[in-house]
Amino acid sequence: MDLLEHIAATIKDLRVNYNSGEGLSQDALAKQLKVAPNTISRWETGTYCPSVTDVERISRFFGVSMMAFMPPEMIGKEEDENLKALLRTARQLHPADLEELQKYAEFRRARGIYQGKTRPKAGRKGGKHK
Amino acid sequence: MNTQQYYEDLKLLARQVRAEHGLTSPRVLLGDLRRIYAHYGIEVDEWPYRFRNLRGAFINDDLGATVMLAKGLPQDPMVFTMAHELKHYFRDRHLGISYCDQSNLKKSLEIGAEIFAAELLFPDRDFISHMSAMRIRQEQCLPKTLIELKRKTGTTLSYAGLAIKAERLGYAPSHSLTTIKTWRRLEALYSPPVRRPTPARFQI
Repeated sequence: MDLLEHIAATIKDLRVNYNSGEGLSQDALAKQLKVAPNTISRWETGTYCPSVTDVERISRFFGVSMMAFMPPEMIGKEEDENLKALLRTARQLHPADLEELQKYAEFRRARGIYQGKTRPKAGRKGGKHK
Repeated sequence: MNTQQYYEDLKLLARQVRAEHGLTSPRVLLGDLRRIYAHYGIEVDEWPYRFRNLRGAFINDDLGATVMLAKGLPQDPMVFTMAHELKHYFRDRHLGISYCDQSNLKKSLEIGAEIFAAELLFPDRDFISHMSAMRIRQEQCLPKTLIELKRKTGTTLSYAGLAIKAERLGYAPSHSLTTIKTWRRLEALYSPPVRRPTPARFQI
């Protein structure tokens, strides 16, 4: 699944299962996010790709990590470990600040994925070892 | 290298950065720092959410060097935080992340960043020449002196930063300035009276 499809499916899934399965209408979500009602539909059908800032706002609204919107194969174990290692060094921070810093670090990582800045993984097509 | 040498080395680095980027006065603005950041390819993010204590953070990894600045910092603290994080870019890139809040301010890496930032904004030797021009000798610097200095130079170094510098360079006794918390009130007290413009008269 590519990035656009994965984001579209995740938004829909979160919306439909919102509040323990009660769900949320597209209009209600649009109101919460202060976007036009048809924007949600376009995001969910993959007509438009939400910006990385939109994804951050959506993740904040649903209380999930931004990484949930990124296809697992794009995150990579190494990047995930890097993120955790970065935050381990900041564990002396106030818990609220640590949480916000984690959100920022995830935003930064997600932006990197959006911009195609992820490091090539070993063993990929075109790599040294075929 | 002992701690003192480390701090002196950082001051030298700050002066080199000033010289390389044409900073000639103690009034270093956000635009100046943004230009320096752009030169080194450091990305800046002003995170639109509030932190309790965190002022900024520097992250360096496979995505490059990025500085995150906390929302709502006034101009001078924002300038100082950007200068502070610049030290982490030059000296602590290998650490991956450096953050700046109350919990780690006593660590030598962070003290070093504060020293670097203070020197970048207002080098010691410039401070000394201003003191000399104002005829202020050792242990003679009063709160009023720093208020006058800030007004005269338009420096973006905060009163807290100026107070540390004045005490460290011997212009004021220890703890005589750095314990002051009411700089803004003092500033208002020592400010020249504001002359209200006389209302224009209508001619009939």
